[in-house]
This record gives sequence, C-alpha cells and structure tokens, in this order.
Amino acid sequence: MSIALLHRMLTGFIILILSFDGYGQNISWQREEPASPELELFHSPHAINLPTAETMQKGDFEFEISHRFIPPVSEGSQALFGFDGPANIRFGLGYAVSNLTVITLGRTNVSDSWELNVKYKAVQLDDFILPTLITIAGGGVWNTDVFDRSKGDSRNFQYYTQVIFNTLIENKLGIGFAPAYLYNSALYTEEIKYTITMGNYLQYYVSPNWSLLLEWIPTFAGWRDSYNTVSFGLEIETGGHFFKIIGTNNTVLNTSQYMAGSDRKFSAKNIRLGFMITRLL
Amino acid sequence: MKKRMFIPVLSFSLLVSLQSRAGEFHVDKKQENEVKFISDAPLENFEGVTDHIDGYVYWEGDDMTSSSAVYFEVDLNTLDTGIGLRNRHMRENYLETDRYPQTSFKGKIARTTQGTNDTLLVSAEGNMFIHGVERPLVVEAKLIPKGSGYRIVSRFYVKLSDFEIEIPSIMFYKIDENMDIRLDFYIEKVNGAE
Repeated sequence: MSIALLHRMLTGFIILILSFDGYGQNISWQREEPASPELELFHSPHAINLPTAETMQKGDFEFEISHRFIPPVSEGSQALFGFDGPANIRFGLGYAVSNLTVITLGRTNVSDSWELNVKYKAVQLDDFILPTLITIAGGGVWNTDVFDRSKGDSRNFQYYTQVIFNTLIENKLGIGFAPAYLYNSALYTEEIKYTITMGNYLQYYVSPNWSLLLEWIPTFAGWRDSYNTVSFGLEIETGGHFFKIIGTNNTVLNTSQYMAGSDRKFSAKNIRLGFMITRLL
Repeated sequence: MKKRMFIPVLSFSLLVSLQSRAGEFHVDKKQENEVKFISDAPLENFEGVTDHIDGYVYWEGDDMTSSSAVYFEVDLNTLDTGIGLRNRHMRENYLETDRYPQTSFKGKIARTTQGTNDTLLVSAEGNMFIHGVERPLVVEAKLIPKGSGYRIVSRFYVKLSDFEIEIPSIMFYKIDENMDIRLDFYIEKVNGAE
C-alpha cells in the first residue's frame, strides 16, 4: 500500500469521524451566520458640547439636564468655585425613532432658545483601517427672547448642519471630528452672518465607567465671537446615566450658541464649571 | 383491572408516538421563539430577551434516551434588555460577546416521562457553555407536540459566578447572582431525516 493511498484513507477516515457529533449521530444541522450588532464606538451620544456619532436603540428616550455656572472657578471658595451660580441651563429630550435616527428637542434659558435636532448614523465601517462612524446632524434654533425684537422675527431663527466622524483606537481612545455650518450665527448684527467650525474632540476611556474628555471648536470661516470654545471634562458612566463634569471658557449650551464662539479667552482665570447629566429611559 | 390495562395502552401509544417522531429536529425559526434571561434582584428587575435560538434534538428509534443528542445555542449579541446602553454594557463589560458571542447547551436526553395531553417531560444532561466556561447542567423541559415537531418550554437557573461573570457593582445595576433562564421555542422535523 503506497503512502499516498494510506494518506488518502487516513484523511477520509478523519473527515468521516468529524462529520459525526460527540454522541455518534450524523447531524445535518449547521450554524448560521450570527447577528452583528450596530457598530458603537463612543459610549455616549455627546462629547462635551459637540455630539458624537452615536445614536440610541430604537424606542429609547434620553433626558438631558446641563448647567454652565457663570462665575469662574478663579473666584474661589467665596463663590464655591462657581457653583453658587447663577447658571445657564439646558433641558433636552431625545427619542430614537430607529436604531440610526434620534430626534431631540432642547431648551436653554440663554435667549430662551429652543433647539430641534435630528441626527442620523449614516455610515458604519467596521472593517476599515480603524472602525469608523459617520453621522450627519442638522437642526434649527428659535431664540424667543431677543432684545428689541419680536419672538417670531425671522432673524431669531438659526440653522446648522454637522458631519460627525468618529473612530476608536483599542477601545480606549475615541477621536471625533465634526465640521459644521451655522446660518445666522450672530443674532445682533445688521447683516446675516454664517460660521463654519472644525470641531474636534478626544475621549480616553480609563475604565469602562470613567473617561476623560477634551474638546476644541475652532472657527474655520465666517463670524465668531472673540474666542474659540475649548472644554475639558470627566465622564462617569453608570447603568443608564452619563455624568459629565466640565471646565470650559463658554457658558452657552445650544448648538448655535457654542458654535459661535466665546467672549472669554481659554485661560485659568476664565474657566467655568459645568455639568451634563443624561438619563436613558 | 382497568388500571392494569391502562399502563400498557399508555406505553404503547407513547412508543408509537415516539417511533413516528424519531429523527432530527431543528429549531423552527419561523415560529415565535423566545429566550428570557431574568434578573430578579430587589428593587430592580429586568429581562434580556431574544428570539435568536438555534440548534437541534436528535434521537433514534422508540427510546429517546438510547441514542440522543441535544444542542441549543443563543446569540447573546441579540439580547435586548429594553435599553440600548444596558445591552451594550451587558455585551461588552460582562458577557464579552466579542469573544463569546453565543451561549450553548450540549447534551443528551437522560429521562422522559409522559405528561398530560400528549406532552413529554424530558430531562437532558449535558454541559452549559457561557462566557468561555463550561459547566455540567441538567435541564428539564416540557415537549408539547405541534405539527411535525414540538414546542419546548423550559426553565432553569444559572449562577453567574459559576461562569466567571462579574456582578456589576459600580454600574448601579442590581443583578441577581442567580439568573432565571426561560425558554419557549419550537422545533420541527428535518425533511429527509429518519
């Protein structure tokens, strides 16, 4: 008997053995391709001011409450590092109409402004060089309390669009880039202004629950207040909550407001504290 | 006298029933299958639910226990607890589904007992595989004849620490150490099988 024939017989015998299960029966059942969940990179749908590319599961609600304390940290213990207030406040309620689309209504006391935002997770690249998500967002803001102007004046309305690119390296370092366009960025100028920003952020996940954030929103073209918005923070993640404690040179909260820049330079003297709490329902 | 007659008649009808049904059965995915993982901790109950169960039951001849095989697996990536973020925490932090996407049970039928209304009470012995850990387990199930197959209803408990699944503490979840697992699904006879 040749070695080749012996090899073929042995191979055939092994295949025969493998075609039987552990109990000696020839089972025809075969496993189907398992389901793959939606690609998720950042844990939260929000960085600090800017959005991440994440949406939510269909049917989820997200309630948000955010504060930016107006007194700077540099006022020290006399103003409880800013916590004495006053504060700018925003409330938001988001709803995931699908796994890819979230609609959010928000309101802040700055200019009594209402914001309607729609966010759509458009591209998921799991097998790219790095896992990548691309989300598009857009919205309108209605400022209902603008000095010397009626509520319904067309100049009180602002519109914006954002494209959000996210990646995550080694499940630790999240990188976000969010170029955006804002129409009517300066409410009080005679002519209508626009603003293009190139917002970006980093989030480092120290553990599954704790992470550090850094965000910079430079104005690329168009109108801007005196300085770019710069923020840093700490995020704590629990069962259905995200808590963010923030330091920033900007005290406004709606998208059309933080995109337009800050009147304070980012420096130790000008840092204001803030927080954001979101609860998934 | 009537009682004496009843036992052979029942045994004969069970034998005929099993002989006509012996063969290979696969999970019927067209049916409304349901697998629930229930955590019944104080103050906070939650369920993880999926319909992604697959697998087979096989036996030969009239004795379900003599040459049988049971295998079922559940796709843990599809577990829905009702909140997307909680699903993600379960997948990534505790079940580690990127490494262990499925939980499975593999064994054989150890005992059968005739229940009421043609149902069979079946005990399967084998190994449960969760989170990369395999542990011996005995699972009791009720088989209710449906068409060419059965509806299978089962309930058993697994202790999370037996499978090296960490109980969340900092995440503010209240999870019971003993997970209550309930299955309600359908199997159908495979065409061409004996």
